[in-house]
Formats: sequence, C-alpha cells, structure tokens
Amino acid sequence: MKDFFDKALLAPLEHLGGQVLAVLPNVLAMAIIVGVGFVAAWALGHAVERLLRVMRLDELCNRLGINAALARGGVKADPSRIVGRTTYWMIVSFAVIAGLGALNLQPINRFAQSFLAYIPHVLTGGVILVAGYLLSNFISQGVLIAAVNAGLPPARLIANMSRWGVQLFALAMALEELGIAQSVVIVGFGITFGGVVFATCLAFGLGAKDLAKDYLERTLSNRPRDRAPDDLRHL
Amino acid sequence: MGSDAIEKTSGRLQQKPPVALTPETESRVQAIGEAEILVGIPSYNNVDTIAHVVRAVSAGLAKYFPGRRAVLVNSDGGSSDGTPEAVSRAVVDFSALLVSDHQSPLQKIITPYHGIPGKGSAFRTVFEVARRVKAKACAVVDSDLRSITPEWIELLLRPILDEKYDYVAPYYLRHKYDGTITNSIVYPLTRALYGQRIRQPIGGDFGFSGRLTEHYLDQHVWESDVARFGIDIWMTTEAIASGARVCQSFLGAKIHNPKDPSADLAAMLMQVLGAVFALMEEHDKVWLDRKVSEPVKLFGFQYEVGVEPVNVNVERMIAAFQLGLEDLVPIWEQILGRGIVAELLPLRAASPAEFRIADDLWVRIVYEAAVAYRARVMPREHLLKALTPLYLGRTATFVLETQGLTTAEAEGRIEQLCLVYESRKSYLVERWHGQPQA
Repeated sequence: MKDFFDKALLAPLEHLGGQVLAVLPNVLAMAIIVGVGFVAAWALGHAVERLLRVMRLDELCNRLGINAALARGGVKADPSRIVGRTTYWMIVSFAVIAGLGALNLQPINRFAQSFLAYIPHVLTGGVILVAGYLLSNFISQGVLIAAVNAGLPPARLIANMSRWGVQLFALAMALEELGIAQSVVIVGFGITFGGVVFATCLAFGLGAKDLAKDYLERTLSNRPRDRAPDDLRHL
Repeated sequence: MGSDAIEKTSGRLQQKPPVALTPETESRVQAIGEAEILVGIPSYNNVDTIAHVVRAVSAGLAKYFPGRRAVLVNSDGGSSDGTPEAVSRAVVDFSALLVSDHQSPLQKIITPYHGIPGKGSAFRTVFEVARRVKAKACAVVDSDLRSITPEWIELLLRPILDEKYDYVAPYYLRHKYDGTITNSIVYPLTRALYGQRIRQPIGGDFGFSGRLTEHYLDQHVWESDVARFGIDIWMTTEAIASGARVCQSFLGAKIHNPKDPSADLAAMLMQVLGAVFALMEEHDKVWLDRKVSEPVKLFGFQYEVGVEPVNVNVERMIAAFQLGLEDLVPIWEQILGRGIVAELLPLRAASPAEFRIADDLWVRIVYEAAVAYRARVMPREHLLKALTPLYLGRTATFVLETQGLTTAEAEGRIEQLCLVYESRKSYLVERWHGQPQA
C-alpha cells in the first residue's frame, strides 16, 4: 500500500514539483525582465518626449507640414508624443520578447528570433515612408510654385501628381523592404506608374495639342509669341 | 564715422589670407608695384561691348586723372568668345579726345578669377589686386555697358579721391518701368532699414575707397551666394552698415546689352530678395534702431534725357497674380499670415480697372516675407519664388497708377511708397522681435 502510495501519487507530484522548481527561476526572471522593461520603457519614453520638446521637434514638424498631415489623418497627438510613445512600446516589446525568451521554450525562442530579425526591415520601411512623405511634400510644393510662375493653369494638378508619384514610389519601396508580396508590389507599381505617365502623355496630346503645335512652330521657325511684348527690366 | 568706422569694423575680424592669383597675374602685379587708382571690369563672353567699356575707362582716366598711376583689371569668368583679347586690343586715340598724350600709361591686368563662378568672385579678384597695388580709389563697371562715357570714371572716383567718401553709388536716369524690383522693393526697403536714400543700391557700377576694399575682402562671404550673385546689394549694404561715408553720382542713362526680360523672373527675384533678406538678418543690430532716412549727397550735373521705351503687358501680370491667388493661398498664408492673404482675396476676379495692391498692404507683404525668411517657415527657395506672382501684382498696380505720368511724376509715386515703408518700419521691428501679427 505504501509502495503504491509512493509510486502512484508521490512520484508524479515530486516530478511535477521538480518541473515547477526547474521553471520557477525562469518565470521569476521573466517577471523581473518584463517589470524592469516596463519601468525602463516608461522612463525612456518620457525622457525622449521631453527631450524632443526641448529640441522643438514639434515646431520643425509644423514647418514641414507633418502636423497638418497627422491632423488630416485623425492623429491628435503631436510628433514628440508619438515618438515618445513609440519608444515606450518598442522597449515594452523588447522586454516581453526577452522575458519570454527567459522561459527557454523552443517555439517562443523561434518566434523571438524571427521577430528580432524582422525589426530592422520594419525600421527601414518606416524610414523610407517618412522620407518619402517629406520628399513628396517638398517636391510638390516646388512644382506647384514653379508651375504657377510658369503660368500653367493646372498647376495644382501637376503638383498633386508629383506628390502622389513620390509617395507611391516610397510605398512600393517600403513594402518591398518588408517583403510583403514583393513581385505583386513591383509589378503593381510598374503598371500604375507606367499608366500614369501614359495617361499624362495622352491627356497632354489630346488636351494641349494646339499648345504643343504652337510651341514646335515657334521653336522650329523662330516665330515670336503671339501675345503682346513685355520688355520690363526688373533690376 | 566714415573711414575710421570701417577700420574698426575690420579690426574685429580675423585677417583673411590673400586671395590666390594666377602666377602671371602675380608677376604682373609685382611689376606694376603701387597704383593710386584701379578700375575693375568683370566679364563673361562680352566681346561685343567690352572694348567700348575699356576705351571709355582709358579715356576717363587719361582725361580726368592724368598724373595718377592707374590700373585696369579685367576679371574674366572663362569667356570663350575672345573677351580677354578684345580687352588687350582696345586702344584709345587720345588726340581725337583732345587729351594730352603725356599721360601716365594705363596698366592692364587681364586675369581669370578663382572660386565659385559669378560676379562676386570676379569682384573679389579685383579687390585683391587693389589691395596688392595699394589703390586709394577703385571703381567697377559692367562689361556690357553701351552708354558708359569717360565722365563716369571721374564721377565714380573723384568723390573718393577729393571728397574723402568711401562709397559712390550710381544714379541713373531710367524709364519709369525700368528697374521695377529696385523701385518697389530694394530701394524703399534699403532706405527704410538703413536710413540712407541710395536710389540705385543694385546699380552695378560703383566707386569705393581702398579702405572699404580691405573691409570687403575681410568679410567671410566669398564662399556663399554673394560670390555668385547679390554682390551689388551686398557692397552697398556692407558700406552703409560699416559706417562708411556714402554718396551718389549722376551717370545719366544706363544702356546695356539687351537681356531676355522674361528670363526666369522667379530666379532673379529669389537672388535679389534672398540677398536683401540675408543682409537684414546679418545687420539687424544696425537697422532695428534707425527711425528715419536721410538724403545722400548726389554729385554730377543732372539733366533730362530720352530713355528707351518699355512695353508692358499689364493683363498678363494680373493674370499671373490671379493664378497665384488660385493655387498658392496655403503657401502665402504660411509666409504672410491669413490676415494679409484675406486682404488679397477680393482681387481674385478684379479687372485691370479695379486691380490695386495698396502701398500699405504691399509693405506689410514685404516685411512679413522678410520675417518668414528669417524664421525659415519653409524652404527659403520656395518662399522667395512663391513671392513672384505677388511682385507681378504689385508691378501691375504701379503701371496702372502711373500710366500717363512722366518719369519724374512716377518718381514721386515711388517716393510715396518709400514713406510708407518708413512709417511702417515699427511693424517690421515688432514682428522681427517675434510679436504676433496685429
């Protein structure tokens, strides 16, 4: 009876207790890592936010039109707050993954490894998107001003096309970086961009054929412009 | 004031190393030794006109400064049309000019310049030669001038040599629609800011003392846009800001080789306004406290002369402004503020008969643009180029208001605008100190 009691009841319990005791330090380590991670995330998130406010990042973003774009997208937080919160969640993510890694479980380890390997691609994709957005704003503003100064009535259309062209290009690059449907993105971008160029050429050919004809005639025959002469010397 | 003030300003700066000259120029400068007068002519592919300019300079020096050692420096930007050869070939028949042939021979230095391509770099080489030969009085004249006469040389140099002035600005007779950026922005703004009524601050032909030459060379601007363009307004502003004694000389009509007047107005406006606004930033301690302007001594015999007619297409200028009003409002609001743009909106459909941008509104536009330039509310190139339709709108206003007026009467209209610039300067000062728009 005693033998049965030892083998049938105590042995499994001892085994379970041994397993629990073996895992307990890992669980404790995970709890500590996650806890410290949350505290560090909170502290660093706030520090980054305050530092960026001191550096007047919000004013800079306001000049670059980023605040307006965020407002258009329904984001009410200012850029310093966004960067601060992003820092917070990144550290929390790292802490949780590191904590889970402390459990030393194979599936979690594999997930953590692939997640960590993917992070540089996410960051690169994010940088490409932000840079593309800023570049598109800069280029479209320059194109708009140049088109107005050249007296082209569809100035806004031309500027918007340049903006969307650059943003589309940046999006395609970012998706390729993330490895999302790479071939679809490249083909899709090629078709869309080619289509836009073709449509533009067609629209110009049909809508502005007289303008093109007049330009070519003037260029080839040195014929002066029809409009009244203007020989203001500005300086 | 005057010369002493220039020296004090220079003294604060680190002495800059001499500008590199080519070995040929170095040896030529050493052979010449010292000279009292130097006349510089910057050039780039000006073979059609430069010989006339060189002859006028030679005749002017021989006629008006016969006993003085003089040097003519042609600072060339790599002309491919034979401009330097035209300079070396140009000679004057002094007997036909009734000038005695017992003159101190004119020394010529024909040299390429180093550095960023542009008129500023060409001038820097001229200044350096002037420093090496210890010139007391210098003048620079454009190489595309058709109306230059020997008298110009006297008028640009005599105030320096005999009256102890440091800087002589030109005063030209011009058509009322000639020099509209000067008339609507540069002259009134320079006058309101620095308190000196120099009528042609970006004239292109100047006289200056050896001391001022040293001051120019010691400034750290020769790798900036000043080297490319903006040298004219920079020289004028730097002369005033350094406390130099400034005056003007009446040179008559300025006729130079025709340039394509529609050649990228936006780029031209960007260059001029960029230079003016950058100088405002640099010298704000000089102008913030100046309240009134004073007349600047004008030398020379003034006369009336017929000037070349100027054709103006007002409708096209108004259309350019209205296209800007259609598409650039968000950008203008960023630069000028919503209040000012709201005042412009009624002009969206105005006919030429109704179209006007009032003086007060125009002055606030210029002042707000200067403040926005300083605050970098957007890329500066975009900011300056976005002002082009506004400038055309204001120019159209000026043309509409002065149709039928004589050039002298139109000058009165410019004087009115200057007074508005001056009376509104307190607005600029407040905005410069960061106060919000009223």
